[in-house]
Amino acid sequence: MKLTTLFDKGEFVITGEVGPIKGAIHRDKSIEPSCAIEALHLNQHVHAVNVTDNQSAVMRLGSLAASVRLKANGIEPVYQLTCRDRNRLALQSDLLTAYSLGIDNVLLLTGDHIQLGDHKEAKPVFDLDSVQLIEMAKGLKRGYDISGNRIENYLDMAFGAVVNPNFEPLDLQLMKMKKKIDAGAQFFQTQAVYDIKIFEKFIKKAEKFKCPIQVGIVTLKSPQMANFMNKNVSGIHVPQELIDEIGSVAKEDRKKKSAQIAGRFVKQVKSMVQGVHIMPLGWTDVVPDILGHADISV
Amino acid sequence: MHATIQKPIDEIVKHIRPGEKVFVVGCNNCAWKCYSGGEDETKMMAKRLEKKGVEVAGYTVPGPQGMSLCKLSHTKKVLMEDHAEEVKKADSFLILGCGQGVHTVIDATNGGMVHPGCDTVFGGETVSDTDIEEYCSLCGECIIEFTGGLCPMTLCAKQLLNGPCGGAENGHCEVDKDRPCGWIMIYERLQKLGRLDLLDPYQSAKNNSKWSRPRSLKVSPTEATFCSIGGKITVSNQD
Repeated sequence: MKLTTLFDKGEFVITGEVGPIKGAIHRDKSIEPSCAIEALHLNQHVHAVNVTDNQSAVMRLGSLAASVRLKANGIEPVYQLTCRDRNRLALQSDLLTAYSLGIDNVLLLTGDHIQLGDHKEAKPVFDLDSVQLIEMAKGLKRGYDISGNRIENYLDMAFGAVVNPNFEPLDLQLMKMKKKIDAGAQFFQTQAVYDIKIFEKFIKKAEKFKCPIQVGIVTLKSPQMANFMNKNVSGIHVPQELIDEIGSVAKEDRKKKSAQIAGRFVKQVKSMVQGVHIMPLGWTDVVPDILGHADISV
Repeated sequence: MHATIQKPIDEIVKHIRPGEKVFVVGCNNCAWKCYSGGEDETKMMAKRLEKKGVEVAGYTVPGPQGMSLCKLSHTKKVLMEDHAEEVKKADSFLILGCGQGVHTVIDATNGGMVHPGCDTVFGGETVSDTDIEEYCSLCGECIIEFTGGLCPMTLCAKQLLNGPCGGAENGHCEVDKDRPCGWIMIYERLQKLGRLDLLDPYQSAKNNSKWSRPRSLKVSPTEATFCSIGGKITVSNQD
């Protein structure tokens, strides 16, 4: 099911996210990889689950293999595809493969730089940027590859893209967002936002594009994790008062507190957006609680 | 200019066989500016090699100052005529210059054995006597008309052509917190120039065939022909 169908119906679209395992899926089909187990926690609570593509440039199981596994388990995947590790041949081939394997939603991204990951000496590809990737994907939908050759059996998937509301200068980020929409992006998931003022400023400018936006949420697990993100994860800033808040409770109560913090934020912003994208970083079991606090459901 | 840095002396010496006589060649242009292969460094390299037990047949830096080692006819004259006797005794050449200079010495000496004494790190602008910075990646398809002259192929770590990724923080690149985001530099420059409109058009995917190596250029006073895997392009400078 394409997420665009839900946006068109005016549904508040809820997505979660899992990261493929560092390793292969077991041949014994009764053994689920941990990412599939995490996704099962989300079942019935979200419309779809993003599957990251070598997230943070750390080498893992392919996002397509994990996406297909989720689909087989009855969970709608959003297949993430980045420009970091593939040239235009590989990107197009993977898009055609994804569609052929039943994938309906793809999130098209640039990808984190190799320097952020665990293979720092690898050759970064970046043959295309995310705008060119979306434009190329649109071509595949219309029957042409990027070189203008005809293809048979066009793909038909919903194309998602990302935008970072925290970016300064914001107008430069919005310039790129508009280019993505012009290229064929049909919905956006934002980078994690924690500051309501920052998000309001962004949405006031972005709503004129009339393209569905899902606010991005990364669950806070601990003060250490928040500080780590502030130091190491590009484009995210966790305010000190939230770091203090998650640190104010004992470790065993952190999941509860984390759900409260995230749910509270979603409740504040939900009227401004067309959906929410929750990145629980393994804590998929807190997602139902977040949705409860935010007073939303599928 | 081609920026170069010297390889560590032990690494250089490791590849020189016992009894091998080495002639050291520097470059009076780029390597001179980098202090990696000017007259002082070339003379010093000869001494450093001798100290490590390497037999030095001679050394030279084809001059005058500002002359590039990669000008084949000049290098050939200097090595094969001016230094003919020393070169004849030499088993190999250690080049303190860029990779182009190394190949120039191969050509100048009819295929002599060479050792690179430097790593060629990038093509750059000599910003000051002490600073060389990279502003061009030699990609063969210049798009800086749309960016106020600042090259995203070089200044953006991901070589993005349609604007920044979401990774910059406080104006700095996600790859290196000490370096500015190339796209923010472009944006701020165009804002100052009142030309942010230049950022609006979609930039299509790069023609990487113009960037496939090796490439060549045939030049004349009236026209030039650039050859790459992407084909030949002849341009006139007269129309």
